[in-house]
Order: sequence, then C-alpha cells, then structure tokens
Amino acid sequence: MSKHFRIGVMFSTTGPYSVVPRSMLNGALLAVAERPAPGITIEPVIVNPGGDLARYAALSREMLRDGIRHVVGCYTSSSRKEVIPCFEKHDALLWYPSHYEGFESSNNVIYTGASPNQHVLPLVDHALATLGSSAFCVGSNYIWAWENTRIFREAMTARGARVLAERYVAVGDTEIDQVVEAILEARPDFVFNNLIGTSNSAFFRAFRAACVARGIDQPRAIPVLSCTLSEPELEEIGTEAVDGHLSSSVYFSSLTSPANDAFTRFYAETFPDGPATSADAEASYIAMKLLILSLAETGTDDVEAVKEAATRQHLLAPQGEVRIDPQTLHAYLTPRIGISNAQSRFDLLVEAPGPVRPDPYLVQSSPRYAVAARNSSLRVVK
Amino acid sequence: MAPRLLQNFNGGRAHIVTSSLTAVEALDKTLGKLGVGVVYPALEDGRAKIDLGALQPERDILFIDGDLDNPVALDIDAGAHQPPVPVIGLVGVEAPSRLKHLINLGASAFLRKPVQGGAVYTALFLGINQFLLRGDLRARLDDMDRRRRGRRAVVKAIIARMNEAGVDDDEAYEWLRRESMRSRQTLEAYCEAFMTARAGPLDEPVQLRPAETRAERR
Repeated sequence: MSKHFRIGVMFSTTGPYSVVPRSMLNGALLAVAERPAPGITIEPVIVNPGGDLARYAALSREMLRDGIRHVVGCYTSSSRKEVIPCFEKHDALLWYPSHYEGFESSNNVIYTGASPNQHVLPLVDHALATLGSSAFCVGSNYIWAWENTRIFREAMTARGARVLAERYVAVGDTEIDQVVEAILEARPDFVFNNLIGTSNSAFFRAFRAACVARGIDQPRAIPVLSCTLSEPELEEIGTEAVDGHLSSSVYFSSLTSPANDAFTRFYAETFPDGPATSADAEASYIAMKLLILSLAETGTDDVEAVKEAATRQHLLAPQGEVRIDPQTLHAYLTPRIGISNAQSRFDLLVEAPGPVRPDPYLVQSSPRYAVAARNSSLRVVK
Repeated sequence: MAPRLLQNFNGGRAHIVTSSLTAVEALDKTLGKLGVGVVYPALEDGRAKIDLGALQPERDILFIDGDLDNPVALDIDAGAHQPPVPVIGLVGVEAPSRLKHLINLGASAFLRKPVQGGAVYTALFLGINQFLLRGDLRARLDDMDRRRRGRRAVVKAIIARMNEAGVDDDEAYEWLRRESMRSRQTLEAYCEAFMTARAGPLDEPVQLRPAETRAERR
C-alpha cells in the first residue's frame, strides 16, 4: 500500500508581486504531476497569502497544526522571515525556492534558490569586466533589496568601483519617474536593479521611454542589471522595453539540455496560460522534486529523516546537476548571465563550468570588515 | 573614528568552555557554517585548559558557560572589563550572580542555553564588534589621559614662547602647534620636549665629604 503525504504549497498568486509566484506554484505542481515516486502519493495543499505579510504566519500555523510537516513556499524574503519562527516552533520544514540575499541558515529550511555568491557576485565581476565601474542602485524598499545592494556595494568598493547612489521605492509603487530622472542625471555605466513586481515592470518601461525621448540607446549606454529578472517579468514589461537587460540567474528557460527541453515542454503543456517558466519556478520544481524523492526514500515525513535524505539526492534538474549542501542546507547551483531579447526570453552570455557551492554568509568571498558606504570625501586642493 | 565593523568571521577559532555539550550543538553547527573552527578546552578541577597567553584577539573567541564556577582566569583590565579576546557568555541560570560573573569576565554578548542557530551570527557580530569598540574606546581614553597630563607643559610652553618672542598667547599657541606638526609630534609631546630643551643647566652637584672632615670642622 502506498503512503500518502500532504504537502503545503504557499505562494502569493494574487497581490502586488504575483506573477513570479504564479510560475513558482506551477513549478511545484509540475513536480507533483510528473511520474510519481514509487510507494507514495502526494497531495498538495495550496494556500495563497495574497501578498499580505500577516497572512503567511497564520496560514503556516494552520497547515502545521493540521499535521502537515513540509511546505514548499514563499517568494519574498520578508515572508520567509515571517514564517521561520513558526516552522522552528513546530519543527517542520520549509522548502524555500527562490534566490535570496543570504545571511541566514535555519535548520528548518531547505534553500533551493540561489545564494548571493551564485547571483550577485558573478554579476559584479561580469559588469566590471564588460560595462564600466560606476553603478546606480534601485530597489524595492525591503530586506532583499537592502541586503543585496549592500553585498553589491561592498563587492564594487572592494574592486575599486563606485556606487553613485541608491534609491528605494515601496513594494507595489509604480511612481518611478523621479528615480529615472536621478539615473539620467547621474549617468552611471550601468543600473543595478532590485525592484520586484509591478514596480519592476513600471521602471523598465519608464526608463526605456525616458531614454528614447532623449535619444539614448539605453541597453548599450546605461544597461540595467538584475538578479531578480526572469521570463514572466519580461512578459510583464511589454515589447517596447523588454530587450537588452542583463540578468544573473542559475536558470533561463532558453537553456538547451534534454532535461530543460523536457521541463519546458511539460510546463507549457500543463500550464498553457502561463506565466512563463522562470528561475524561481525551476527552484520550486527542484524543491518539490527533492522533497518527493526524499519522502520516497525514507517512507516517512519525519523532518530529520527527510532532511538527511535530501542531502543525499543528486538531481539532474533543468539547469544541470543540483544537490543540497549538508552543512548549510542550501543548493549547489550553476551561475549564469543572460541578456533579454524581444521574445521575452534570455540569450545566454556566460555560465560557470559547473555547480557552485552555496556560501550564504559569503565567508569565502566577502571582505572581512564592512566597507564604508561613501567613497572618501577628501580631495586634492592644490 | 569608530573601528570598522567586522562582518565575516571566516578563519576564526571559538573556544567553547562548557560542560553541557548538548546545549551547544546548534552553536557548533552554525559556527561551522560561518567558517569558524571550534575547540572544546578540557575542564580539569573546574578550570578550562586554555593557553591564555597564546590567544589572539584577531582570531580567537571565548564562549564561556556562566553556569560553571570561574572556569577561566582571564587577565581582565579591571576598569574597562576588557578581556584579551572577545568573550560571549552562555547563559543557563539567569541569576544576577551568574550574569555578573560573565560581565566581570568582559562578555560583550550573550547566548541563551540551549543555543539556537538563528541567534549565533547576531551574538558573534555584537560580541566581536563590541569588543573592538571597547578596545578602541580604551585606547582613546589612554590617549586623552596622556594629553591631560601633558597640559601643564603646554601652558608653560605658551608662557615661555610669549616671553621669548614677545607675542600674545594665541600667536604663541599657533607657533607651538605649527612646530609640533612640523616635527610630527603631538602638541603635548612637543611642548614637553620644548620645555626640556629650554631648561637651564642643572645646579653644580654638591660634593659630599667624609664625615670625619665635617667633625674636624666642628
């Protein structure tokens, strides 16, 4: 007789940043729909906090009290931080499937998205080698953008490059013109973008329009670099402003491999109405896949047993080989940088030769001391 | 200027002084993630076997269990409670006497037992940076003390310069300040050297004569 497991799936599929979470939900459900692991059946229990931070902890509590031990979910870092105490209290496991800013490693979370050494640091090196040495940072006003910009700024400063300014806008805010004006005035070599949701697409449209009005060839003169930008967001930007943006990611839907061909084909068949697959959708697929394989291996949903089993899995994922680092419970993933095209997809520019070990606290790569935010104000006067 | 914040603890070495190893399992694990090696000094007759002289403030961190009775004899700067390396207290019994003991050892951060992994980075960040800050404040206080002691020489040097050059006190002070900068000394050190150089020769040494000679004279 096969064992039946109920798995929580928690994504804000409505609200101000719902596009990517909708693709994440699809990714997780795709793993459930695939040929099931022998000896077990999976019942996804889907909840939608609607982008309301307060709903996350309440919904988590309800699921865990209802006997669910494993939840695949959360997109924003603020929602993850909101629910972790609940998972620690009930000793359950959150499978967090999104790239994030690091500096966390709960024993009750498996992180299948990219750590900062797998997204922001490769982007800094690529930008400095190919684009120039001055950046303007924009982001949504919450922990992801604050921390990712800090990591970016420290990496830039350590390499002798400059951050000209940082601007943050509230999540969901689309009044972006002032930020665009400030960028055009500062004329950086490139923009480092950590906006999410509707603010993100509003920014790309407004920035391109302002550049066109001034006769500036935006993708070449002031390219925008992101760690968040994925295919569903490109579709949101629209055809006028979609091309020429750089994204650092461990997955692009355009990757050519048998595993990714099968994944994208099955995804398109199962969810013909979209949204397009994305890095976070792939991370959700990986999370659910690893969870199912671990449940099948152990035959129990006991958190310790499943966690151990998860670190033994080697998954041939759409992006390539993926495994979980037993020390940090973060994933080995393959960093890549792509550039968006007019079809709302990415053309691959560079990629790492293989999976890179996660370093959530950047102990291998960040400066020992915090770097001062401003460059020296001293100048030669004579 | 305040010392820069230390944020990456990679290469550090934690000495965890405790007898309850189960309470520090998560500490051990999380320190590993942060690139910090862990050693458990043996406890002999209640004393931890640590070579205190070999501890390096740039590398070593002491975690001391407040439930143990004085397990480490640290050479503490009494006024500032400044230990030779950062100390993070492990708190079990939350009694004032136990906490006071940890404060006296110079603990600059605390972790409640059993330790939760999520609290470790914050405790390290706070403990080590508070240690650096206190060391910096100590150095600044020492410098202020030294300058305070040198104030007398500054006053004397100003008066001497006024008399010598026929200038007012502001001008005399400006001159001394400029000269001290030129000689790359603090104002106080320069003024002391200035006064010493200007002091006249000592009085002729008194010749002591044998006692009987003095008796003869009587």
